[in-house]
Amino acid sequence: MSALLSLSGLNRRFGGLAAVSDFSLALESGIVTALVGPNGAGKTTIFNLVTGNLRADSGQILLHDKPIIGLSPHRIARLGIARSFQDLRLFGHMSVLDNVRAATEPTSWFWQAGGAAARQQRRERVETALERTGLSGLTQARAIDLAYAERKFLSMARIIATGARIWLLDEPASGLDPRSRAQFVDLLRSATAEGVTVCLIEHNLDIVTEVADRIAFLDQGRKLAEGEPADIMQDKALAAIYFGDRT
Amino acid sequence: MIAYLVNLATLTTIFAVLATSLNILIGYGGIFSIAQAVFFGVGAYAAAQVALHVTPDLLVASAAGAGAAALLSICLALPALRVRDEYFVIASLGLQMLAVTVFTEATPITGGFGGLVGIPPASLLGLPLTDPNAMLAACLGFLVLVLVLTRVLMRGSFGRSLMAIRDNDTAAEALGKNVMVLKTLAVMLGCAYAGIGGALYSAQMQFINVESFTLDQSVLIMAMVIIGGTGTLIGPLVGTVLILLLPAALSFIPGIPPTEIGVVQQMIYGLVMTLLMIFRPGGLVTLRTRRQ
Repeated sequence: MSALLSLSGLNRRFGGLAAVSDFSLALESGIVTALVGPNGAGKTTIFNLVTGNLRADSGQILLHDKPIIGLSPHRIARLGIARSFQDLRLFGHMSVLDNVRAATEPTSWFWQAGGAAARQQRRERVETALERTGLSGLTQARAIDLAYAERKFLSMARIIATGARIWLLDEPASGLDPRSRAQFVDLLRSATAEGVTVCLIEHNLDIVTEVADRIAFLDQGRKLAEGEPADIMQDKALAAIYFGDRT
Repeated sequence: MIAYLVNLATLTTIFAVLATSLNILIGYGGIFSIAQAVFFGVGAYAAAQVALHVTPDLLVASAAGAGAAALLSICLALPALRVRDEYFVIASLGLQMLAVTVFTEATPITGGFGGLVGIPPASLLGLPLTDPNAMLAACLGFLVLVLVLTRVLMRGSFGRSLMAIRDNDTAAEALGKNVMVLKTLAVMLGCAYAGIGGALYSAQMQFINVESFTLDQSVLIMAMVIIGGTGTLIGPLVGTVLILLLPAALSFIPGIPPTEIGVVQQMIYGLVMTLLMIFRPGGLVTLRTRRQ
């Protein structure tokens, strides 16, 4: 199977610090890949390189076999790569409905193209996103007034509404209660069943084991291992690095 | 007395257009500019030149004022919007200082420090606006047009995108928003409104000079928006009415000797503003929170 998104030989330094070193990864359609590693391993930096928020010093990123390095973040988003942020970055003073609507309207002009048919399509995407995330009853609430779990799901609703086929999720389940976590897992499974490709950063290893098809283990900007969750989880050397025991 | 009130109402209407113009930038776009008086001035000078040399028609003069201000705003937006928020404030301050010098020195266009005098009374589609009531009605008409356009745009996808950028530009960009283009359009729109305000002002005063377009004026317009409530349609109107009418109303306080009225006015005015910012930091008109 050919990769939808392929990262090869990526390097990125911040002064004397090598945040990402010779990193390669292939994301395949409908597959959930988890980036796992201790804090400072370079996981979020990799997301920032893919989305154009940071530029790689060297290496290549191919989307459908076409290079995307050097494109601005909004162009990369319009190519079908959506991301969430650790700190959510919701549009706090806007309603839940407007947060999700905004995700369906990428055109930077006074109006959106496509007329009534496109408008109807956008409306349906908004409704679907709100239903799947359980936010249909909170459309008029402002994002800053939501409970923590609701904010997390609003972040997911925005991603669903974009219609993107590649999701980069940065700690999407952190801080969720067990019920919300189960809802999140269901949401992810239904998305991948429809062919959405997911790459997620997650510290909760239970979630990783539950949803990930593959794991890439990183430390200090380098990929140390990649494989099936069962294999990675049983590696005692990786566990020692993850839990800070490097002796 | 009636003439005074009509004049005050007309000026309040013009400043309501200006406050609405800055609200596009600050309230909806999160772009803090302290150069709005520059675009007010550019609009006023452009409209005055049209009235003096082409036609006194207010529609033509307003179009010229709006166009000139929008064009100049691109010069500010394109370089300045690339920098972070606080640097934009400084860039706009720089523009404000520069513009006052240009307004003072470009005598053939602005009349220099003496200003432009003898601006002919305005007309609208052939109807003279020499009667103060007619001028007030025309200004109200322009204000309504500006408010309706603002409401339509801000309730649509453009407004949503702009507010998304205001709340978090990185997240907005991650959803496909071209932040530079949207901010530039917002600056152009807000400055075009300010140009319309300038055109109305030159038609009303029939005399303009640089003193109306200084940093003090920019700060006054910003105060109208912030005290009234940013990001709402009504807030800047309330702020304008309060800031322009409060000093006038304080003049009528009984028992104060005429020689002291200025001092008392300043003290009460300052106190009211301070109390407002302590107890209503979001402005007088704030967005309601609705949770179903």
